[in-house]
Amino acid sequence: MHEQRIDMPQGTVDLLILRILTLGSQHGWGISERVQQMSDDRLCIQQGSLYPALHRLERRGWIKAHWGASENNRRAKYYELSKSGRRQLELETAYWNKLTAAMAQVLGTA
Amino acid sequence: MLNDFFFRIRHLLRRNVAEGELEQELRFHRERQLEKYLKSGLEEAEALRRLRMSFGGHDQVKEECRDSWGTRWLETLLQDLRYGSRVLRKSPGFSVVALVTLALGIGANTAIFSILYAILLRPLPYKDASRLIVLRETTPRVGAVSVSYPDFLDWRTLNTTFSEMAAVNNVGFNLAGIDQPENVSGQAVSANFLSMLGMRPLLGRDFDAAEDKAGSAAVVLLSYALWQSHFRGDRNVIGQTISLDGRAFTIIGVLPPEFRWTEKTDLLEPIGVWVANHASSSQYRGERGDMAALGRLAPQVSFERGQAQMRGIAARLANAYPDTNGQFGVTLEPIRDTFVSGIRPAVILLFVAVTFVLLIACANVANLFLMRGAGRSREIALRMAIGASRGRVIVQMLAESLILTSLGGLAGLALAVVAIRGLTRLMPLEMLAGANIGLSAPALLFTAAVVLLSAFLFGLAPAGRPAKADLQLELKDGGRTGSGGASQARWRLLLVVAEISLALVLLVGAGLMMQSLFRLLSVDAGIRTEHVLTMQIDLRTAQYDKDPAKLNFWDGLLAAVAQLPGVRATALGTGLPLTDDHSRTDITIDGMDPPKPGSYPHPDIHIVSPAYIKALGLRLMQGRTFSDGDNEHAPKVAIINSLAARQLFSRRNPLGGRFHFGQIADKNAPEWLTVVGVVGDTKLYGLANPSRLEVYVPFHQFVPNSMKLIVKSAAEPSSLTSGVRSAIASLDKDQPLFDIETMDQYVRDSVSTRRITFFLLGCFSALSLVLAGVGIYGVISYSVAQRLREIGIRVALGAQASDVLQLVMTQGAKIAMAGVLTGIAASFCLTRLMTKLLFSVSSADPLTFAAVAAAILLTALLACYIPARRALRADPVTTLRCE
Repeated sequence: MHEQRIDMPQGTVDLLILRILTLGSQHGWGISERVQQMSDDRLCIQQGSLYPALHRLERRGWIKAHWGASENNRRAKYYELSKSGRRQLELETAYWNKLTAAMAQVLGTA
Repeated sequence: MLNDFFFRIRHLLRRNVAEGELEQELRFHRERQLEKYLKSGLEEAEALRRLRMSFGGHDQVKEECRDSWGTRWLETLLQDLRYGSRVLRKSPGFSVVALVTLALGIGANTAIFSILYAILLRPLPYKDASRLIVLRETTPRVGAVSVSYPDFLDWRTLNTTFSEMAAVNNVGFNLAGIDQPENVSGQAVSANFLSMLGMRPLLGRDFDAAEDKAGSAAVVLLSYALWQSHFRGDRNVIGQTISLDGRAFTIIGVLPPEFRWTEKTDLLEPIGVWVANHASSSQYRGERGDMAALGRLAPQVSFERGQAQMRGIAARLANAYPDTNGQFGVTLEPIRDTFVSGIRPAVILLFVAVTFVLLIACANVANLFLMRGAGRSREIALRMAIGASRGRVIVQMLAESLILTSLGGLAGLALAVVAIRGLTRLMPLEMLAGANIGLSAPALLFTAAVVLLSAFLFGLAPAGRPAKADLQLELKDGGRTGSGGASQARWRLLLVVAEISLALVLLVGAGLMMQSLFRLLSVDAGIRTEHVLTMQIDLRTAQYDKDPAKLNFWDGLLAAVAQLPGVRATALGTGLPLTDDHSRTDITIDGMDPPKPGSYPHPDIHIVSPAYIKALGLRLMQGRTFSDGDNEHAPKVAIINSLAARQLFSRRNPLGGRFHFGQIADKNAPEWLTVVGVVGDTKLYGLANPSRLEVYVPFHQFVPNSMKLIVKSAAEPSSLTSGVRSAIASLDKDQPLFDIETMDQYVRDSVSTRRITFFLLGCFSALSLVLAGVGIYGVISYSVAQRLREIGIRVALGAQASDVLQLVMTQGAKIAMAGVLTGIAASFCLTRLMTKLLFSVSSADPLTFAAVAAAILLTALLACYIPARRALRADPVTTLRCE
């Protein structure tokens, strides 16, 4: 399983968090779970980078935080996408697509 | 952006809440992860192990979260500031000295720079002011004099180097009918004057070209100040009339508040009105009243080219009109220089002096911080040894500097505000040159930047050093020789020597000024100034056109004032000694060889009442004073001063000698005046100026319109003013009197620029002496602290108290001597700059130099003595064990 994991390039954590939050508000653990699920366990955000990233995104105003009750009825900090966060996601997604397409093209013809 | 800001503020201010939430958030994650592992069937021990692995260090994650809050640097800074202020509180001596140095350095310099900026550097409120040139005529005997109106008209038509020229003629008016009658001053100007300056009236209209011609309607533009004070800023003032010299003038406009001229200006009238009212003098080429020409250099014309052409024109006029223009040339001066002409040397001297004070303050601050850093090199080495990064140490040193410098800067700012207010009140009006003086932001920023930069730079020195040196060595050294090494010691010595020499230069300057001032004030002005009140009265209205009317007023005035209680003597005269408002004319002595034009005797003429000589206390050397018998029916008589008696009647008895006004060719049947008396010379043009030829004539024989009333009283004379005022009102209720001043005030005013220069130089040099003392004290006490061990050994080996004292004092004396020698060398070069301000003392006066050098050495030794005492008290056992 560990062999299949992919190291995450810089900045992709932010993109992933924003993407997951388009599905609805979620707490930190939930976000890391969804990333794992959606990537068939190939991607895993380490807590050491997840939480600093969440706080950084909150400071920039791209996500908003509020405290709520979790599935098992415990107090958890939920994050949701803000308007500017949605815009940021579009920008970054477009950029990412361009980058990967270009990379694929270069690598493919190489 | 805003979100970011509030986020940081929230996390900074509600730190505990944020910490709690972070902990809770991470715990939740851990618990859910643990649940997940357990659910997937892992043993609890294995689950916990995995959890720990995946989670990384719990505290490390928290640290990284805190980093992303973006509050880290601020917290560190606050921490450093707290630490810094604790350190500073623990060394109050250093802190206080540094604070005082910073405050004085920044405050004094900002104040002086602000004042100098306002006077010398702030742009004049004119369009393209650097192209505006003031032109005057010159004569070899007097220098720059006024311009005659016909000459001005010729200048204007003949020149091609000026795009425009305007005549500006100083005029006085008796303003009546508003409040108390009063005298106002203004300028009669060509119509293009205002537009040439690039100004327009605030209200109403400017003069138009037709108003340059004689016979145009009497109109005036009011100054903003006069409009405010006399019409309360009423906008309906346009079209109203005011009474000037008994004539009605229509107000056509108000000048903008920023309007400024080289002389006090309450109003402007068109030159055409002035020409009409001075028909004869404005048409006679030899009459040089009170006019200057203002020119604007044409584009691409240099000052030199304009000057060369004007000189050529003046030479042509001199050829064409030898009688009136024979000796006259022309002088050009940029308008900025006209504003500051008399005070430039003093202002530049102060500029140099204050720069020195600034340098001394910087040197002192630098020295303080260097010493302090050196003393702490061990602490820094220790910090770095246990892992502090260089950046961290630098920030910490900066934090300390920041506390000191911002406190010092604030104190300096407060000091500057107070000092500016105080100094502008102390400074003579002529020195302020009509400038508006306030705290100048550029000056504050500049001085603060210079002083603070030196504090920061030298505050950092200790943090930069241990990198090069071996940390271990520093620590092993135990801070004993951790003095910062030879290079820092050299720096400190250099700074102190520089400080001492700068202080010496300032002290020499102040000493020379002090001597000049005292010598000047002890000059015999030839008059007795105590209890003498003077005031100006100008008869300007039409009722005084004829001599009998004038004489009637003057005689009535003398009689009325003589009745006032406490009056010892009452007199009238057209001029007063120690002022510079006098009229001169050529005279021809009976029987002299006809001189060339321009080399006639050219005395100052005073028209006086008989009691003038008694009221001012002039000494009668020969003959008699005037009496009431010397009137319009009697033969014309004159009194001359000793200088005139010696020069004009060299081998003869002057009494009975005859002369007439003007040159030989002037009149066919000259009116001869007979000399009846000789009086002592007076200092007519100020205490520093040489005596001149003087001639006194009785006012009944040459009736003037305007005179000074001189009242000698038994006691303090200013109480007489109201009595004199009502005496005048009883003669003519519309007649103002002005320039009310005692003779003592004139004496004080005549030295005011020198006095304020001396006062400021004195303050600066006292300040610099203190700062230099602090500097040398610092260096010596630091070196004593470093050498305590050596001294301890010496004492242990049998050195006596006197040996130790000598050891320390010699070191101090060497530094002081080095400073004194370089200072003396610098002074020899620099005091030459102030020759113009000195009076009967050489700029290399050996007495001053010796006294100042002694004072500096004494201060230095005193400053050394305190640390030397500390060295004496050093117990060898303690100092040696201390290691």
